[in-house]
Amino acid sequence: MRKESILLSLLWVFLLSLVFSIVHAQEITLQVWDVFDPATSKDAVEREKLLRKFEEENPGIKIQHNILTYSDLHEKLVVAGVAGSGPDVVHMLGEWVPEFVLMGIVEDVTERVNAWNEKQFFPDSTWKVATYKDRIYGIPSIASPRVLLYREDYLKKAGFDRPPDTWDELKTVAQKVTGVVEGVYGFGFCSSSNAIRGPQEFLPLLWQTGAEWVVEKDGKWVPGFTVTQAEEVFALYNDLMNTLKACPPGSIGWEWQELDNAFTMGRIAMCYNGSWMQLHEEEAGESFKYWKGTRMPANKNRTTYFEVKVEGIGKFSKYKDEAWKFLAWILGKDQMALHTRHDNLPARTDVISLPEFQEDEWKKPFFAVIPDGKSFPPIPMSESNKAMMRELQAVLYQQKTPAEAAESLLATLQEILETINE
Amino acid sequence: MLSASWACEPTKRKAQGVSAMEKQKLLSVGFRVWKKAFSPYWYFIPLFVVVGALMVYPLADGIRLSFWSKNLMYPGKDKFVGFANYYKLLFEDKLFWPALRNSIIFTAASVLFEYLLGLGSALLLNSKHVVRCKNLLRGIVLLPWVVPIAVNSLNWRWMLLPDYGFVNQLLRISGLGSIARGWLSDLRWVFPTVVLVNVWRSFPFYTVTILAGLTLIPRELYEAAHIDGANRWQVFRYITFPGIKGVSTVIVVLHIVWTFVNFDVIYLLTGGGPLHRTEVLPTYLYQQAFNYFKVSYASSIGTFIFLFLIITVGFYFSKFSSFYVER
Repeated sequence: MRKESILLSLLWVFLLSLVFSIVHAQEITLQVWDVFDPATSKDAVEREKLLRKFEEENPGIKIQHNILTYSDLHEKLVVAGVAGSGPDVVHMLGEWVPEFVLMGIVEDVTERVNAWNEKQFFPDSTWKVATYKDRIYGIPSIASPRVLLYREDYLKKAGFDRPPDTWDELKTVAQKVTGVVEGVYGFGFCSSSNAIRGPQEFLPLLWQTGAEWVVEKDGKWVPGFTVTQAEEVFALYNDLMNTLKACPPGSIGWEWQELDNAFTMGRIAMCYNGSWMQLHEEEAGESFKYWKGTRMPANKNRTTYFEVKVEGIGKFSKYKDEAWKFLAWILGKDQMALHTRHDNLPARTDVISLPEFQEDEWKKPFFAVIPDGKSFPPIPMSESNKAMMRELQAVLYQQKTPAEAAESLLATLQEILETINE
Repeated sequence: MLSASWACEPTKRKAQGVSAMEKQKLLSVGFRVWKKAFSPYWYFIPLFVVVGALMVYPLADGIRLSFWSKNLMYPGKDKFVGFANYYKLLFEDKLFWPALRNSIIFTAASVLFEYLLGLGSALLLNSKHVVRCKNLLRGIVLLPWVVPIAVNSLNWRWMLLPDYGFVNQLLRISGLGSIARGWLSDLRWVFPTVVLVNVWRSFPFYTVTILAGLTLIPRELYEAAHIDGANRWQVFRYITFPGIKGVSTVIVVLHIVWTFVNFDVIYLLTGGGPLHRTEVLPTYLYQQAFNYFKVSYASSIGTFIFLFLIITVGFYFSKFSSFYVER
């Protein structure tokens, strides 16, 4: 009797596990790797809710949401990709696209995008970032240009009714504002060796001299600037930091955390920054009402950095159709309107034109500078970004003159491009 | 136990001509002997598999890769280049020698100060004068070591900020505002600062280990020294220090290796900057592998670190062994 009951129990366990495994076999889990942490961003909270909603609407698909920082995400994607694995859906900085395409980590979605009837709602400038050699590798999600962010109260105190409009004005205002309130400096910028935000500030300044970082000639990439143009940019940094002493002492080597915090705490009056600064509204308290954004002070033009983030499908995903279904859904109009409502900016024109976005005072200056926006060129940028920051630091530490740094940068870029062209 | 004569027996019998049954019996006995002799080694197989898969294979593959040219961005263009990566590393790379020099100074300074601080705090905690809250104090000393490296390094990074960092604020409050500076951006101070943070994080390990060594020294030796009229220095020189010498060697060797390959602290504090002033070989290797995707060149740096450590640690151990022989 006892033996029989044991056998019966075992049979039940077997049957149950069989049913469970059959049910589970029909359910797939999409691995989503991104940076949207609900603990730090209101938009990420919305996105998290949308992930759950997608699961409800698609009973056979589960979402495994993996939140990483940008540097970790980059590293993990490289390591996983080389090992022939990785996520189903991946969030990328625009400048990663060429690298990941060359490594064979992201899926070519050209045919899917061309067949997608919502492609038209994304501006060409955003598709350009998701494209490498005429093939598309993802859908643009966040499209955020940089503005000159400034403290209106500090500028008024120093006698300025409007923000600077040219490089010369920028230097004058930065110098005059410095010290107008004790411990406040006129300007702050990034120049860290990690080269994350720094190049995003340096390149627009170079573009503003009328130069390009690289240009394509006869199918090969060559430097798009002259020594004089690069020297002009280095000289601007040098003037602000060393000649006019308009930047906080010890701010050489700042990365985005230090810069964003310095502005939030009212230690600097101006910096180039993005829409995510709204995240610091609470910390800024009363002073937030004096935070204003405006277009970049011009040299020959007022080009600004247009940061486009792209969501793609992992090359080694087993569920590419489901991953595409998810991407097309989460980057659809209604969903994007929810997860870019606060600290991010949407890539879709039909979302930008919604009244709640158009009337948002914080977002207005960012939308206004979109026509001035420009993204990184479609080449691997890691090595040249590091070189850029190395030369900038050499100028800031007065180890090199702006002219020497410009020459050195040009020579280094030529070497890097030789490898890329090979 | 099998005797030697028994072992020779099958040969004799074979010569005489043995039956099939006897042959089988002999084979079975032979198998049992073989099994008995080799059975302990079977238990090593999981260890060999794990160590092989997780250590030997990656190490061997890393060394193999260092003789190739491989960039992750250009798959399919790998080619064998012999010692070209090593030649470039040793004779052409302008950043390699400064990075090696920084690694050596960083390791030597860190291990020296960690040891001195660890020894001092262990002696203090072991002292008969510290009677109250001994366990609590030991726990407090251990705190920097139990905090995860990432948290520790990022905390320091914020505390060392020039404007509103805790360290400079404290200096200003104490009337020492003139020495406040950007500790991680001042070219002269950045390296000592990074060493200091590393020492602060690692010295508790020395404290705990040396403290364990101190408790093993027989009390009678101290009593005898006291009776003989030895002063404090003599007690330390002839009893305490020899008593912790074994432990000290082990932790110093471990920390030479750990510090030389330390990546987290420097990477999180300075990223190797500014202007490569804190660039050490592990951060340089990381940069080559994960920023520039030159994995074979990074492998040659990794192989260099491996060989350098083998030679350094081997030299250290050989010196220490001769010390024991002399004694």
